[in-house]
Parts: sequence; C-alpha cells; structure tokens
Amino acid sequence: MNRYRWLALPIAAAALAVVPWFTSDTIVQYGINALLVATLAQAWNIIGGFSGYPSFGNSVFYGLGTYGTAIAMAQLHWSFGSGLVFGAVLGVACALLFGIPILRLRGPYFAIATLGLAAVMSAITATVEIAGKNIGLILPLFRGDTLFYELSLILLVAATGTVAWIARSRFGAGLVAIREDEDAAQVMGINTTTYKVAALTVAALFSALAGGIHAYWITFIDPASAFDPSLNVRMVIMTLFGGPGTVLGPVLGALILSAVSEVLASQATGVASLFYGIVIVAAVLLMPKGLLDLVQGFRDSGWRYFVDNVRRYRI
Amino acid sequence: MQLFGQILVNGILLGGLYGLMGLGMGLVWGVLKIVNLAHGALIMLGGYALYYLYTKAGIDPFLGLPLAMVAMFVLGYVLQTALLNLIVRSAQLNTLLLTFGLDVVFVYMAQLLFSADFRTINPPYAGKNVTISGVVVPYAQFGAFLVALVLAGLLFLVLDKTRTGRAIRATAQNLIAARLYGVNPKRIYAITFGTGAALAGAAGGLYGIVSQITPYIGVTLTAKSFVIAILGGLDKPLGVIGGGLVLGIAEAMAALYLDPTYTDIISFGLLVLVLVARPAQLLGRA
Repeated sequence: MNRYRWLALPIAAAALAVVPWFTSDTIVQYGINALLVATLAQAWNIIGGFSGYPSFGNSVFYGLGTYGTAIAMAQLHWSFGSGLVFGAVLGVACALLFGIPILRLRGPYFAIATLGLAAVMSAITATVEIAGKNIGLILPLFRGDTLFYELSLILLVAATGTVAWIARSRFGAGLVAIREDEDAAQVMGINTTTYKVAALTVAALFSALAGGIHAYWITFIDPASAFDPSLNVRMVIMTLFGGPGTVLGPVLGALILSAVSEVLASQATGVASLFYGIVIVAAVLLMPKGLLDLVQGFRDSGWRYFVDNVRRYRI
Repeated sequence: MQLFGQILVNGILLGGLYGLMGLGMGLVWGVLKIVNLAHGALIMLGGYALYYLYTKAGIDPFLGLPLAMVAMFVLGYVLQTALLNLIVRSAQLNTLLLTFGLDVVFVYMAQLLFSADFRTINPPYAGKNVTISGVVVPYAQFGAFLVALVLAGLLFLVLDKTRTGRAIRATAQNLIAARLYGVNPKRIYAITFGTGAALAGAAGGLYGIVSQITPYIGVTLTAKSFVIAILGGLDKPLGVIGGGLVLGIAEAMAALYLDPTYTDIISFGLLVLVLVARPAQLLGRA
C-alpha cells in the first residue's frame, strides 16, 4: 500500500478540481474561501512551522496582494493577471524590506513586531489616496465562481508542492535547524539571515497571490478586511491544529476547521466563536503537535497519548 | 501653549492607566515567561465586574475596585492552576496560542452574557472637574491616575519587601534554584498570574470609568500593554508606569498635531522602532 501512497495526493487534488461541476454554488463559494485560507495556512507554515518564527505579519502580505491587485485593476485598469503580479511584487518587496530588520528579533519580540507592522500597514493604507483611503476600492465585477475555485486550487497545490520540496531540500533542513537552535545553526555555517528572509519571502508570495484572487472574487476591499489580524490568527491556528512543519498538516487543519466553523456559524455566530476558542485551548493541551502527530501517537499508544501530552509540559 | 498643557495633562492621565495595564502584562511575562494574549480580555472582564458592582449593588466604583480585583485574582489563580501550569514549560508558541484561545472564550462569553452594548461606569462625579491655570483636570481621570500610581507602588513594595514577593522574584530569576530553596513554583505561578489578573481587572474598572467598555476592547489593549511593558522593562513596576506615560503622551500629541487616525501608527510604529533599535538589551532580559 505504501508504494502507492504518493498517488493519493494527485487523486485528492483531481477530486477537488471536479467539485464545481457536481455541487451547488454555496459549496463552491465555501470551497473558494477554504482553499484560499488553506493556502494562507500553508504559507504561514513555511515561516512559522519550518523556521519557527511565529509571524503575525502574514496578513500584511495578504493585504498588500489584495490592495496591489485592486489598485492595478480599479485605478490603473490593468488586467487581472498583471494585477496579481503587481500585488505579488508588493508583498515580496515588503517581505524583503522589513524581513531583514524584523527577523533579527526572536520569539515573542518577533511576533509582536510583526503584529505592530500589520497595524501600521493597515493604518497607512487608510490614509493613501490611490488606495481609496478608509472607504476602500471596488473592482470590476466578474461572475465566475468556477474559475476562482480552480485558481485557488491551483495556488494551494503550488504552495503545497513548494512546501513538499522545502521539506526534502537542504533549504528546508536549514530552516528546521534554525527552528531547533538558531545559534547552533549559525555555527554550522548556515547563513541564517538569508534563509529566514527567503522563507518569509516565499510565504509572502503565496499570501499575496491568495489576497489578489480573493480581491477580484469578492470585488470590494477596505483596510479593515484586507489587513484583518484575525485572519493571521486563523492561519496560525489552522497550521498548529493540523501539524506545523509538516507538508499536509496545514491543509488538513484548514479544511477541517473551515468546515467546522462554517457549520457552527450557520447556527449561531457567538456560539461558533466560543467553540473555536475552546477548540484552541483543548488542542494546545491535548495535541500540541497537531493532527498528524495525534494520528501517529494515537496509533502507538491509544488514549495514553493525551495523558502523556498533558503531563509532558506541566510544572 | 494652554492647548499644549491640556494635551500633556490628558496624555499623562491616560498614561497612568496605560501603565497599570502594562504592569500586569509585564509581571506575568517577566516571571512566567508567558506573553498573555488574554490580558486585554481580563481588563475587559474587570471593567464588567466593576460595572455590575456599581449598577446592580450600588457600590461606588473606587470602593468597588478592591472587590473587583479580588474576584479577578481568584479567576487568575484558578486559570493558572487548572490550565496554564499544565503547559508553562511548553514552547512559547503554545502558551501564546492557549492564552489566545482563552481570549476568544472570554470575549464571546462576555458577548453572550453582557451583550455587545457600550457600557460606561458613570458615578455622579464623572462629569466634574477642576481647572488649574486654564488646564481642565477631570476628577474621575485624576482619581484613576492616582489609583494606578498607588497600585504600582504597592506592587513594587510587595515584590521588594515581602516573603512572597521575594519568592516571585527568585522564581523569575531561576526556577530550579528557587525550588531548591523551598519555593513551591506552582503556588508562586498561580499567585503571580492572579496578581496580573487583579491588576488587569483594576485597569479595566478604571478604563470603564474614564472610557467605554465592550466585549471587544481587549485586542488593542493587549497590544498596547505589550508595547508599554517593553518600553518600561519587564521587571521594574515603576518603569512600566513610565512606559505607559510615554505612550499616553505620544498618543495624545499625535491626535492633536497629526490626526486621530495616526494614534495607532504612533503606538505601533514606536513599538517596531523600539524593538528593532534595541533588541540586545531586550533579548537579554527575555
């Protein structure tokens, strides 16, 4: 069976690709959101999961991709393709520009600096004339959920493929070394700055592209929704829920949690978010290494897996 | 010049309250090495506690403050004992995430229990003020400022002079050595987190007097508390008050001379600058 395991992925991707022709519009629309969020989680995985840098600034790259595409299309009347490229360029440029000073910080300092960066970028966008200030921008209307669905799926597959490559490459090994012990990694001859900035840049590229697709699909953007910090929090939670530093964990975590919150949100909004909070608390306590580790650990030791996890880190 | 004086006084009065917010954050962070993302939610809960003490039981807000603080201390003590002590040795990302989950739970419980309406604690003297050489000083704001200073001073004395305070500082410096000298870290951690929650609760109550509370005020206040704790230095209660004053004055000045929308750019821009400009000292303390 193990010999054919690699076939499962193309089959799953193909199955997802034909979904729009067999289901309702609602499911396709939910699918676009879920696939884009999964892409964002996968992008976060590169900087947060592999390099261990808890970025809260990925929503900046998403927001820049959103605004880059929107400005190009609504203000400059470019095509969607060139808009996407423009947004991606903005996101990557931001990662290169701010990555170098901010990636010198570690742990919570890095996390909060990126959080601050997100707040500043959102506030700055709200004062720029060409970005529509506080009011936002309206993109040309284009009705084609199937196209957006397939684009999102392609982006997710590309992001997952990139992560699969990273996981096997020398580059990925370097990132993991940085995560485990940065000083040791440096002593071993890894150029930590280059590695970290490269990881952030790749994450920025995919986040910005996801933002661009979302902008054209949703056709209206404003600073509050484009730079929403809770979106970044969702990337983190989905990645950690699935399994940070793994290839498929973030995708699984994103798809499962999107489905759960979609079902709950249709019942009652406040209760859904409350449940979300409880899931986070329980997940951190019971399965701190994510879903994939849970599957493995449960197979090995059954219910004791949870007991062991609770015992491991207590004082 | 009179306008400048007024803005300066407003900034200082607000800054004292900010300092109180940073105090609880910095204490928990310095001792437990936990960046408590639920800090803003605890501030929010303290605000509601004082609000209901005032509207339902009719207790004057400044007299009710100790009661609200005791309630928040108990909540913090229980949280630390039941949940946070289980993962306090885990990776920092996990503690961040757990406190974030708690934040979400608190916010939406508050929304279900207290509704999303704006609430203000409105004692009879709320609108009164005194004018000193052209500068208006509202009584409520001034009272909140004084309480913040007193609490910071008390915390300093407790940490410096009492046996428990010394145990807290010893635990912060070296957990294993403190344990060898007979400190029970579980209890010390619970007391520390409880104290942090009580300070957050006090800040929330005062915030409810000088401003408005909703279930959603927490996120920005968490971020600001973080900025303040960093500006002031984690292990120095009086320094943290100084950090609060810096932020309060900077925000008030930005609102006057630039535009109210720039206050966030100022506070978070300041944060990023401070972090990037002097990481060595900060990292040494972390």
